[in-house]
Amino acid sequence: MNVKKLNLKIVFTLFLALFLVALAVNTGIAEEHAEETVAAEVTGDAEGSAEEAVEEESVPYVEDEYRNFFGIDGRLIVWIISQLHLMFAAFVLAVPLFVVIIEAIGAKTNNLQFDNLAREFTKLLSTAFATTAALGGLLSFALYGLYPGFMRYMTGVFHPYMYVYALCFFGEVFFLYAYYYSWDLLKTGPGKWLHVFLGVMLNVFGTTLMMLANSWATFMMAPSGIDMKTGAVLDRSAAFFNFLWMPVNIHRIIANVAFGGFVVGAYAAVKFMGAKTEEDRAHYDWMGYIGNFIGLAAFIPLPFAGYYLGREIYSASPVMGNIMMGGAFSWTFIIQAILIGMLFVGGNYYLWNGLGRIKGSERYTPYVKYINIVIFFCFAVWLTPHNLPLSGEERALIGEQYHPFSKFFGVMAAKNAVVNLLILATFFSFLLYKRANKGETMPFKSHGNAARITMIITVGLTIMYLLWYSMGLKGQDLNEAIRPYINPLLTCIKIQIAAIIAALFLTFSNRGKLAQTLLFVVTVSISVIYFWYYGFVLMEKANMVLRFLSVTQVSIVISTLIVNTVIDVFLFKNAKEVGGIQWGKIPNRAQYALLLLCVAIVTLMGLMGFIRSGLRMNWHIYGFMQDKSPGAFTPSIAYMGWVVSLIVFLFLAMVAIVFWLATLGDKKKKHA
Amino acid sequence: MKSFLKAVAFSLSIIGFFAFVCIYVTGLSGGGGGGGATGVSPEAGEKIYWGDGQCHTCHSIGTSGSATRGPNQEGLASRAAERAKAAGLASSLEYLVESIVNPAAFVVEGYDNIMPKVYDAPIMLSREQILAVISYLQTLGGEPDIEAVAKFAERIPEASGEEVAPWVPPIDVDIKEGELVFFDESRGVTCSKCHVLNGKGSQVGPDLTGIGAVQTPQYLIESVLKPSEIIVKGFETMYLMTTEGMAYNGLLVSQDEEEIVLMVDEDGVMEEYVFYPEEIAQMQKQDVSIMPGNFRDMLTTKEFYGVIMFLLSQK
Repeated sequence: MNVKKLNLKIVFTLFLALFLVALAVNTGIAEEHAEETVAAEVTGDAEGSAEEAVEEESVPYVEDEYRNFFGIDGRLIVWIISQLHLMFAAFVLAVPLFVVIIEAIGAKTNNLQFDNLAREFTKLLSTAFATTAALGGLLSFALYGLYPGFMRYMTGVFHPYMYVYALCFFGEVFFLYAYYYSWDLLKTGPGKWLHVFLGVMLNVFGTTLMMLANSWATFMMAPSGIDMKTGAVLDRSAAFFNFLWMPVNIHRIIANVAFGGFVVGAYAAVKFMGAKTEEDRAHYDWMGYIGNFIGLAAFIPLPFAGYYLGREIYSASPVMGNIMMGGAFSWTFIIQAILIGMLFVGGNYYLWNGLGRIKGSERYTPYVKYINIVIFFCFAVWLTPHNLPLSGEERALIGEQYHPFSKFFGVMAAKNAVVNLLILATFFSFLLYKRANKGETMPFKSHGNAARITMIITVGLTIMYLLWYSMGLKGQDLNEAIRPYINPLLTCIKIQIAAIIAALFLTFSNRGKLAQTLLFVVTVSISVIYFWYYGFVLMEKANMVLRFLSVTQVSIVISTLIVNTVIDVFLFKNAKEVGGIQWGKIPNRAQYALLLLCVAIVTLMGLMGFIRSGLRMNWHIYGFMQDKSPGAFTPSIAYMGWVVSLIVFLFLAMVAIVFWLATLGDKKKKHA
Repeated sequence: MKSFLKAVAFSLSIIGFFAFVCIYVTGLSGGGGGGGATGVSPEAGEKIYWGDGQCHTCHSIGTSGSATRGPNQEGLASRAAERAKAAGLASSLEYLVESIVNPAAFVVEGYDNIMPKVYDAPIMLSREQILAVISYLQTLGGEPDIEAVAKFAERIPEASGEEVAPWVPPIDVDIKEGELVFFDESRGVTCSKCHVLNGKGSQVGPDLTGIGAVQTPQYLIESVLKPSEIIVKGFETMYLMTTEGMAYNGLLVSQDEEEIVLMVDEDGVMEEYVFYPEEIAQMQKQDVSIMPGNFRDMLTTKEFYGVIMFLLSQK
């Protein structure tokens, strides 16, 4: 009864809100109309004869370049709508990616629990999809209405791709609903795999859709294929495949998966806290764990994709790069560091809390405090600005603008080192969690040839990547005076390759744990400790080589993550369990960690959206079409903070409503 | 429901923390945020004066710049102190601030009230940029006092957020055609015979370089169609009658104890005439511009609006 009343109240509130919005919009239109009427009366004769009416009609039509939204700056409206659309789009593009994987695992292992989880995620997807489409439509109307001149040009450049976009949209709609509604129909046997295929096709269309839209956004940042003076389209495909297109595609796909994982994690957390039965608590605890796992798994490589994107932005336009890291936007990266720090701390905190529900985890809990120290140390270094905001008195006391000690933590050499350490520490945390209830391991030989082949392929591919990168490094066209500074990087890669080969043999001889330890030690020694020091050497003597240092650092860390993950899979395959996992036996504070992860990643997406778009400064299309509207200024960080906060609030509120709507059907079933 | 409300409160606290950090960081970074903020300093002000601010299109400083529409700003700080005293203001700084916030408040004798509000379109300087310019103006004959300048921040209006509907001529025109008309010396009407634009032309009338950044279309239309309505200071016509009864109308080029030089229009050609004091019977300023007032008949509508659009594009 209470639930019914509550539902009625919510419906009434929504109705009231819609009514007020309609009233406000109507008032705005009426006011505009009144202004037009007054203007007509002032300029024309009040009598208004038929002749004058004809004359008025013959006034030539002049199209506005910019308009505002009932008195509100068009840029603010487009900012809010586009960001909300992007957030919903990220969710509906990411969730199918892991839903299909979860469903495939369920189908392969005949585990109905996985199948049910995939279905529950898809249920959230279907309602979120309609909201995404509605926001996309609203964004189009806002852009064409408020920025007609700019959109006229963009349509001129990209109109053939817009038809492809529409077709992909139809494709996505078809496969989404086919996937969702055929779940029961294609439940068993070959039908199940046909269902998985429908999910794969849903992903194909969804990802294509995202990549099409990405090209428009990246064209605005790094235009190509057009005459930069006249705007004439010289090569439409070059405009589409512009310089930043692929880096943004890669970054967005990974970020979307992390985003989707953390959002469903938060959904599970809220459900867990409101669960009435032990069964529900266990279910939502497991769902939260999966959400966090997906989020963290995607989040760990995300800084690498972000670094790649940043590097390409520098390559596309050094001016834009300087604005980003050394100019107007440099302080926003301090805020980004805080949010990323929150994500790493929150993710680790959830894992540590999760250890409590696993019997046997006591063996590993002492390590947690050390990981904690490492994470907070990395966070502190990452937060340290190079150029401290000092008063004149403080500057006089220090004798310079830079602090004699903390300045060493503010430069990129230090920040790159701690980011890699942060990733390695989180990965280590995850490995501890995974093995918490595992006891005695099985000999590697017992896993058969498949395991051996998988290990060899993994190691082979990783080494091939490192060799390919080394060859590229050797082939760099560098000044003879600078070239010798590349050699230490090549030597470090050789050491890493040797460590990987050694790890392979150690794994084959049943010493997987030692192999993992060896790789961790070598990687931390090279990528964190040595490269931190060598970064300072390069800053002083061969600044040009710094960019190669960062990529080498990243490559070595990635190779360790990949090889250690595969070793871990076989190390604990069929291992004896010390105790089971007691799903549902996790404190509520862990659920708040999941909420923190969700709010932090949504906010981070809002912040990064502002940075990516704001880098164009007062250009619609960087270097070609200037934004001449009154709103063409870069807002202060405080203003950005308020707008992004509003967007995050709106998104979370809309998500809450959408998820509530998605579960209405279940309640009816239960009551029936 | 209780757990949901707790979750909402927790989420809101994180959002609030983010907003707080943004505000705090803005304070640390000097409120600049984006936009390539350069802070309040004479150095920044100097850049804005000669750049985005477009101040140099009307004001020279000593021998730097050639604009004459507004007063030369050399020694401005000391002059501002005297004028502040005369106007009953507390300080020279207040005088400078007031002159920028409300350009009509103190129009220097000998100059017209033509200065635009620089915080409005099309210049749209930010509050910080205006403060920087003021600190730079303080260095012209005085010492900058940034702390004192910063105290006037609230007096400077923020750049207007209102959209300014771009002016469009009533018929389709080609800016290039307007440019041709402006410089075309083969015809009777040639603007460049009397106006310099981007270094080209003759300096009989005011230099029009950068005019589009500081003047409205209405002002330009009126100046072309009714040149005598607003005459830029220093470009008034001088009526001179010699003792022999010859009358001349022209622009005063120079005047000292020994001679007076007038630039006179002789059948479309501007020529300088030198007069000695003993041969002048009468001399007085006229409220009529030397610029021809018959452009309405000499230009087609398309040419006329083409010239206006061309001038507006000079930013």
